[in-house]
Amino acid sequence: MGFEGAMPEISLSINGAPVTGTVEGRTLLVEFIRETMKLTGTHTGCDTSQCGACTVHLDGKAVKSCTMLAVQADGAEVTTIEGLAPEGEMNPMQQAFNDHHGLQCGFCTPGMVMRAMALVADNPDPTEAEVRHGLEGNICRCTGYQNIVAAVLDGAKALRG
Amino acid sequence: MSNVKIGESLRRVEDLRFLTGHGRYIDDINLDGQARAVVVRSPYAHATINSIDTSSVADMDGVLLVVTRDDWQREGFKPMPTKSGVKNNKDGTPLSQPDRHALAIDRVRYVGEPVALVVAETLQQAQDAAEALDVDYDELDAVTDPVKALAPGAPQLWDDIPNNLCLDFELGDKDGTEKAFAEADHVVSLDVLNNRVTAVPIEPRGCIASYDASEDKYTLYNASQNVHANRDTFAEVLNIDPAKLDHIAPDVGGGFGAKNSGYPEPPLCLYAAKRLGRPVKWINSRSESFLSDTHGRGQSSRVELALKADGTFMGLRTTTIGGIGAYAWTVGPFTPTGGSARTQGGPYNFPAMYYSGKAVLTNTAPMDPYRGAGRPEATFQTERIVEYAARKLGFDPIELRRKNLMPKEMLPHKTPMGLDVDSGDFPKLFEMTMDMVAKADQAALKAKAEAAGKKYGFAIAPYLECTGGGPKEHAGVTFNKDGSVELAVGTSSTGMGHETSLAQILAAALGIEMGRVKFQQSDTTATPLGGGHGGSRGMEVGGNAVKQAADEIIELAKPIAARLLQSETEEVDFEDGTFKAGASSVSMNDVIEASQDADKLPEGMEPGCLNHSSVFERGIISIPNGVHAAAVAVDTDTGTVEFLGYWVMDDFGTIINPMLADGQVMGGVAQGIGQAFLEDIVYDPDTGQLVTGSLMDYGLPHADEIPNMEIGYYEGEPTKKNPLGVKGAGEAGCVGACPAVVNAVLDALKDDGVTHIDMPLTPQKVWKAIRDKGAHDPKALLGDAA
Repeated sequence: MGFEGAMPEISLSINGAPVTGTVEGRTLLVEFIRETMKLTGTHTGCDTSQCGACTVHLDGKAVKSCTMLAVQADGAEVTTIEGLAPEGEMNPMQQAFNDHHGLQCGFCTPGMVMRAMALVADNPDPTEAEVRHGLEGNICRCTGYQNIVAAVLDGAKALRG
Repeated sequence: MSNVKIGESLRRVEDLRFLTGHGRYIDDINLDGQARAVVVRSPYAHATINSIDTSSVADMDGVLLVVTRDDWQREGFKPMPTKSGVKNNKDGTPLSQPDRHALAIDRVRYVGEPVALVVAETLQQAQDAAEALDVDYDELDAVTDPVKALAPGAPQLWDDIPNNLCLDFELGDKDGTEKAFAEADHVVSLDVLNNRVTAVPIEPRGCIASYDASEDKYTLYNASQNVHANRDTFAEVLNIDPAKLDHIAPDVGGGFGAKNSGYPEPPLCLYAAKRLGRPVKWINSRSESFLSDTHGRGQSSRVELALKADGTFMGLRTTTIGGIGAYAWTVGPFTPTGGSARTQGGPYNFPAMYYSGKAVLTNTAPMDPYRGAGRPEATFQTERIVEYAARKLGFDPIELRRKNLMPKEMLPHKTPMGLDVDSGDFPKLFEMTMDMVAKADQAALKAKAEAAGKKYGFAIAPYLECTGGGPKEHAGVTFNKDGSVELAVGTSSTGMGHETSLAQILAAALGIEMGRVKFQQSDTTATPLGGGHGGSRGMEVGGNAVKQAADEIIELAKPIAARLLQSETEEVDFEDGTFKAGASSVSMNDVIEASQDADKLPEGMEPGCLNHSSVFERGIISIPNGVHAAAVAVDTDTGTVEFLGYWVMDDFGTIINPMLADGQVMGGVAQGIGQAFLEDIVYDPDTGQLVTGSLMDYGLPHADEIPNMEIGYYEGEPTKKNPLGVKGAGEAGCVGACPAVVNAVLDALKDDGVTHIDMPLTPQKVWKAIRDKGAHDPKALLGDAA
């Protein structure tokens, strides 16, 4: 049983490029990003908005893209992990994750990096405690967080310049 | 010449794609024409299946196929085999292995057990049809606790397996241990729970199956950490030649054991793909993962320690009842039996030990290895009874441990559990750890805790564990004309960084640039055999396979070098990427280049002659060991625990890449801390429903719940059991963590009369234990069942 008839068209920008698409009313933003836009760096790790692997930026704020409908992103500017740096390059936060071994399996990593970028945008010089608190909405099962925290602190420093 | 060395913290080469969103995980793969599958799972813990009415969904939008038990029986598909390392009961009879089919045949025996596979054009259509499928059940009584499942009158899961007892196991000297207990000045006994948990890799399981009728060949992309063994299992189930099944794991988002097993969904999808002539994709949801991923630990044990008046250990006796779920899963029966027996007693000198373990079937999800599989349990059992005995008998817990560690002169030593402890220096690591702790100034930490109105606790936990997993590994090296070097290994990195560490071993051994190495893993078409991931075998078996292949390539290359140097093969030596004969030398790079050029090769050698495969076989498992220590502050008003320090000193033998080893330790400790304070798989004892079925109910540790750790390595005692001298690093973190943190909390509460709290130490349980001072029953779990 679908939602026949209700197929709204949405227009938004993803990673700086204008995008128009038709979605079902029930289509989640993460589904639109992954399946319609084929941007598979944004991941789905749970079904209860706990893990944060799907974190993207919506008008500059970190949001869990599994927790909003695609239609709610109509008119918004969305940035995904693929939009942080030119193809084949890393921004200072991504570089800090590489330098500090802040990732292992890589599945939570895009969400973790997107959350970290939003965190330092709000608070360019966070303390370790602020970083740990700020990452509460993102779960990593591999690293024990120590190296993620070190990466975020170092990435924040690099972004401050 | 390459600058790459073993022991260097090289940055990971796989990070670029993971950090930029270009990893390729199972759900990122889509094949042309694919259909989507959803598993219909049992809503009951125990029920008879009266009927499955596929006509109830046949006309729904997009539905293509419903696979049921009728298909499975008509096709004559086989049950999935258990590959438990222990196969016989202590009386010599074989373990009781019920048929485990991919779909329930007559009865369902746990909530979440697959009953049917619905395939439709889209995921939403498959979900709708799976929800609508009419299955008629008659519910039966269920039992979820293994101790209760053994008791008279318990619901019986299988008509032919009395008392739900799958495997009854023992190890060690029973009579000798009894004698030690009889002669002891002190005997201390405590029931210890190792709570049931699950791995929760952040990427859920999933697969895509396809079938090529023209070649009668299957291809399976699967989030597996063990493609070769799984291929053999699936081929056995489906009555096909393993050579007709290509099994490939793409990037895998964590495993920790939960992606090791032969699961039901891949053979169901392979069958559906053949039936439909279309690829079939299945991705588990997180809620389904809690129901259907393998769980781990889940042991109730009575641990008994015999001591002389001066505290010298005389004997250790452990009696364990372990739930293994409703079936004997891939290696499920092994963990509470042989898997937990081997490292009993840890690094202490025990003249006598005896272990008995029962693997019990219950109406719960299957149990299979979870990071450590038996060694965390053994270490927890040993360390809890040592701490408990120290408190009860008035010994200083640190001194009691120090007194009983095996001295270095005792090694090599075969423990009463039969474990071959070849190398190590346990007292040295103990003192190195205490030195690390001393630098942190315990008095200051204690003052800090007390200034905040909290109680300070400290504990130290020496551990000794062992490796495991497949003993054989393949490494294949191919030198391409474009200068790249392909390295294909049958190991399976699910985050451990083998793309870097195994390439590092090859590059260091050959003296070539790291950037030339192209790594391939987890593909049955790329390597003829492979042991995948498990038992901390990546560097121990995989690393040694790469080293062996490289050493053999150097020998193959010597005649080429000799020709280039106008010398004799016997006169050529190799060191640091350079072949030398007398005063002349030629680099490995030049020799590799010459190996592609017929004009530069000695007679009888063909271009490509350096391409080489090697199979390394481990003889005896290695013994990683070390010491964890934790300092905590406990708020007795709220029961919450704060970390003030965490220290680890490990002997993993030779460290290939310290940065990656750190990552393994940190991640393992975090999983141990998660188990100790938050994580708990809870089934409703009456209905058998899973209470902790989502990330809202099952607590995973977050960034503000894990402390920074200070980690050190002792490399002075590399093992001689393998050429690299590595002992394995992947699981040790969660072997040492639980006892260190639990004992630290109990140290903080020693003046409150609190003697024991079973994991997880949630604030509520800690708070209640403080209020119940002295009320703990040391026989709380097994009663008279032990």
